[in-house]
Amino acid sequence: MANLATKVCGVTMDPPLVLASGILGVSAASMARVVRCGAGAVTMKSCSLEPRAGHKNPCVLPFEHGMLNAVGLSNPGVAGASKVIAEFRTLSRAPLIASIFAGSVQEFGRVAERIAEARPDIIEVNVSCPNVHSEFGAPFGGDFDATAAITRAVKDAAGAIPVAVKLTLQCPSIGRMAKVCEDSGADAITAINTVGPGMLLDLATRRPILSNGVGGLSGGAIFPLALRAVFEVRRHTGLPIIATGGIATGDQAAQMILAGASVVGIGTGVYTRGVTVFEEVARELGDWVDSTPERSLEALTGAAHG
Amino acid sequence: MDDRMRTWPLLEVVEHNPGLKSFYFETDSEVQPGQFIMLWLPGVDEKPFSVSDVDDGRLEVTVKAVGPFTRKLMECRPGERLGLRGPFGRPFAPAEGPPPLLVGGGCGVAPLRFLHRHLERRGLSSTFLVGVRTAADLMFREEYAGGLAMVVTDDGSLGERRLLPDKVGELLANQTYGTLCAAGPEVVLSTLKKLAESRGIPSELSYERHMKCAVGLCGECCLEDNGLRLCVEGPVLRHPLPR
Ligand SMILES: Cc1cc2nc3c(=O)[nH]c(=O)nc-3n(C[C@H](O)[C@H](O)[C@H](O)COP(=O)(O)OP(=O)(O)OC[C@H]3O[C@@H](n4cnc5c(N)ncnc54)[C@H](O)[C@@H]3O)c2cc1C
Ligand SMILES: Cc1cc2nc3c(=O)[nH]c(=O)nc-3n(C[C@H](O)[C@H](O)[C@H](O)COP(=O)(O)O)c2cc1C
Repeated sequence: MANLATKVCGVTMDPPLVLASGILGVSAASMARVVRCGAGAVTMKSCSLEPRAGHKNPCVLPFEHGMLNAVGLSNPGVAGASKVIAEFRTLSRAPLIASIFAGSVQEFGRVAERIAEARPDIIEVNVSCPNVHSEFGAPFGGDFDATAAITRAVKDAAGAIPVAVKLTLQCPSIGRMAKVCEDSGADAITAINTVGPGMLLDLATRRPILSNGVGGLSGGAIFPLALRAVFEVRRHTGLPIIATGGIATGDQAAQMILAGASVVGIGTGVYTRGVTVFEEVARELGDWVDSTPERSLEALTGAAHG
Repeated sequence: MDDRMRTWPLLEVVEHNPGLKSFYFETDSEVQPGQFIMLWLPGVDEKPFSVSDVDDGRLEVTVKAVGPFTRKLMECRPGERLGLRGPFGRPFAPAEGPPPLLVGGGCGVAPLRFLHRHLERRGLSSTFLVGVRTAADLMFREEYAGGLAMVVTDDGSLGERRLLPDKVGELLANQTYGTLCAAGPEVVLSTLKKLAESRGIPSELSYERHMKCAVGLCGECCLEDNGLRLCVEGPVLRHPLPR
């Protein structure tokens, strides 16, 4: 089978399939298990400076076409996350991406500085979560200047650790936003976070089902949006892309590679296809690469751009 | 009923003891003993509960009031609509061959009662043992009057005055069982697991952890040592464990 090992910012991922942030990324044991089930790298749940309690249940709702979630960025804070990184290193040699978020530019810098001490392989900057409006205002990811400032602050604090900025579709142009990140020093782009927010109502009570009222949309419903986003990011930048959004099959992963992805993130696919989705997608992706004249993942990356 | 949230009318409420009630819902689903559902009280919260029986299109859960959610649930009346998602998780799967020994401790009696009835309805025999601290904690007390189950209590207020693991040790020493199926406090489960190991029989043990999404994404209920998700690979784990 084709060699699928892929280098992103100097970090080798084999296969090029990454556990997306917020899915099973809270404990070292669960991330190590995801690696045993075929992931080439894992992303931790986003962490903030201080611990945060999440929203009450229901906070994750499967529906006909995907998933709606408003977990509320519950996390043990950067100190707790650092301990999880150290523990993960004792269990697995797979690369680990730490994800961070904060309420201000300076705070992003502080969280980055603290998490960098725990030596993750990559720091992913979550400027795009749609679930925490009330507290933090609109997501930073919609604003070019804010995203640029956050990228610079995190880069300054991260030292030699590569920085990926995780973007949202909810911005004037995700391609231009990626370019802004590149110009501000980002080493990679993760696209995309959940879309929305969206809502589901209960007919009997006539109220939203999520305790938070609204939540981010993920899974199959957002795949075409994520694919278009990755395509645009590739048109605007030369940065490696971690393509995330609705991917659960080798066919979808292959489309992402053609659109310009270096590696592919899987979140909701862990629900739709089970935790062994990683080894299944790896096999399907490998079969596809073998069936192409190029027979090389690298040669196929971005091939949709002709 | 499926993974999506929907509200269902509460058909009936039966009080077993103060703060211990069974709630009956109409259902259209196949549920296996050991599986659980997520129960939503609109405007309050949503929590996991084992199914204690499914019979004649009626799903039953049996709940002990221990905190804000379960106390609020005790106030619910027939006709109210509550949300249900599920069933979730891996059910009990006793091995074929000699009948299994079913052991329920505390609230762990609920899924074992379902398993016992389920086997009975299929003409399969089993030995059923329940253990609680004191008589007032016992679910379905009225059902055991006819000797359906052996009852032990820590304080001797009902049945034999014995600690549950002691009684299980005695039963395993005197008869051959195919599988030990159990639910209850985790300290009790770890003792039972060792007892089954020492007798060379498999155990199917149901564990409880804080649960949030119930669909294997949030990571809340993962075991510390092997990362298994209790809402998907559990709540009933067969020993030896899967990958
Ligand atoms: C798979 C499974 C099956 C269960 N089956 C039953 C059952 O058949 N009958 C029954 O009475 N109870 C059962 N429980 C426990 C039940 O979910 C808790 O008693 C309930 O959530 C307590 O909520 P509360 O707000 O009333 O109390 P709280 O004050 O929130 O908690 C009281 C106790 O319940 C535990 N608990 C709280 N929230 C959760 C949660 N989301 N998941 C698990 N435990 C929690 C706490 O750790 C604490 O020990 C089950 C739990 C699990 C995980
Ligand atoms: C339950 C859940 C929790 C999530 N938590 C986070 C998070 O903490 N940080 C983050 O950057 N993205 C988070 N996401 C977004 C995912 O990482 C991913 O970008 C998005 O779900 C789209 O991919 P998917 O369709 O494969 O799930 C979460 C998604 C889900 C479903």
